[in-house]
Amino acid sequence: MASLDIDIGRVEGQRALVRQRHLKMAAIWAVVFAFLAWCFHGTIIQDTDWSRIGGANGVLGSLGRFLALDFSLLPELVIPTIETFMVACVGTVLGCFFSLPVAWFGAANVTPNRFFFYPAGRFLMVLSRSVHEIIWALIFVSAVGLGALPGILAIAMRSVGFISKITAEAIENIDKKPVEAIRAVGGNDFQVMYYGILPQIYPVVLATVIFEWDINIRRSAVMGLVGAGGLGLTFFRQMNSFNYGGVTMVILAILLLIVLGEVLSHFLRKAVI
Amino acid sequence: MTVLKVRDLRIRYADNQPEILKGISFDVEDSDFMAIIGPSGAGKSTLIRCINRLVEPTSGSIELFGQDVLALKGTALRQLRRNVGMIFQEFNLINRMSVMDNVLSGRLGYTGNLRSLFRAFPQSDISRALALLDRVGLSDHVNKRADELSGGQRQRVGIARALMQQPKLLLLDEPTSALDPKISREVMGLIREIASELRVPALCNIHDVQLAKESCNRIIGLQDGYKKFDGETGTLRDRDLEEIYAMEVL
Repeated sequence: MASLDIDIGRVEGQRALVRQRHLKMAAIWAVVFAFLAWCFHGTIIQDTDWSRIGGANGVLGSLGRFLALDFSLLPELVIPTIETFMVACVGTVLGCFFSLPVAWFGAANVTPNRFFFYPAGRFLMVLSRSVHEIIWALIFVSAVGLGALPGILAIAMRSVGFISKITAEAIENIDKKPVEAIRAVGGNDFQVMYYGILPQIYPVVLATVIFEWDINIRRSAVMGLVGAGGLGLTFFRQMNSFNYGGVTMVILAILLLIVLGEVLSHFLRKAVI
Repeated sequence: MTVLKVRDLRIRYADNQPEILKGISFDVEDSDFMAIIGPSGAGKSTLIRCINRLVEPTSGSIELFGQDVLALKGTALRQLRRNVGMIFQEFNLINRMSVMDNVLSGRLGYTGNLRSLFRAFPQSDISRALALLDRVGLSDHVNKRADELSGGQRQRVGIARALMQQPKLLLLDEPTSALDPKISREVMGLIREIASELRVPALCNIHDVQLAKESCNRIIGLQDGYKKFDGETGTLRDRDLEEIYAMEVL
């Protein structure tokens, strides 16, 4: 076997480079660990009321109280569960309607005006998503009072961002050929959108709406925490009356609803695609 | 009678780009089935799209049915467009809609927004669509989705859609280039037949010179935005083709 022709001298200079790279990686990791240690110290070590926890038994005992299920609460859960489901459904539908103009404004190829409506549409998309659903609910509770309505409005506002963003992107990626054909037969702007664009984006939009609806079931379950109806309100009452078994019952109802939504949306999505 | 008069038509898509059409003039008579031939990039598609203003010319004039096309706006432009049937190279159908709805969409220029919204076309339009689908040989495919059809069948849907408009002029943008040679001749034959039955003049982009000679009575040759030939099909010589295609024709 012929020996490999290696010239150690030629690569000598590169050893320094390899070493330099190792040092750099070590420095980066050191900074990351230092930062995490600082966070850990600031939050857990300094900010926890260690005297009140009172050892492992205390923690486990507190958690254990949640396991004593309160089945007497069952009849009171039916109506809020249904209400939570309804809030999610109506909120999603309303969100779709709000999304229509936002997607239209925010899609670069169909926007009525690039300098005003386009940025306005994009801003509304970001605004909808950057405000948490609980904050939206707080705003609407103070605007329209307690009940399911503020929950519906909050869910609708929170849904606009995602639905309109995906819709706008779908509009930007359409095939222009059918659009050209509808213009050529003398169609107006509405007909171009309805016949040329809508059939193309419809599967994507519908799948997105189903996905958003699935998420909205989760969201509507917590709306009641700020007084906007549904299971969240029952949760809040049980927690306030220190009925931990009841709290668990509400959580189980939420879980059931979410599993139901998951299963339904799975089949709906299959039917669409 | 002259249906279409194009004079000194020029277009450039942006100020810093070269002109696509460099002063094109020609007439189309009401009995014409006219071919526009020329190599890729000669400006054939752009020229045909200027006629119904899918593309905006930079200068020149277009007179169609006695109307100044370039002066039209909004509703008037849409009314002009509905008199001009267009058939496309890649069919430009709405894939997710049925064959029937695609054909009916040819009627949109005559249909109000409310009827469009519910796809509630008048009975007369539906009867006409069914009759046209029968004429182009698609009666068995009325309720299929457009994307379930073969290329030749799709172009037949495109033909039916254009005829739904009851057009007074047909614009054909390479109607057979996406089809195989046999289907190409069938489709071209069908268009030719229907055009003469309905006495509708046609302007047809085509790069298959042989097919152009077989089906058209007049030919315009474009090369790099200039008109290099304009005459009866019989007067087209190999010398003209060499000039149009800037190469030896074998």
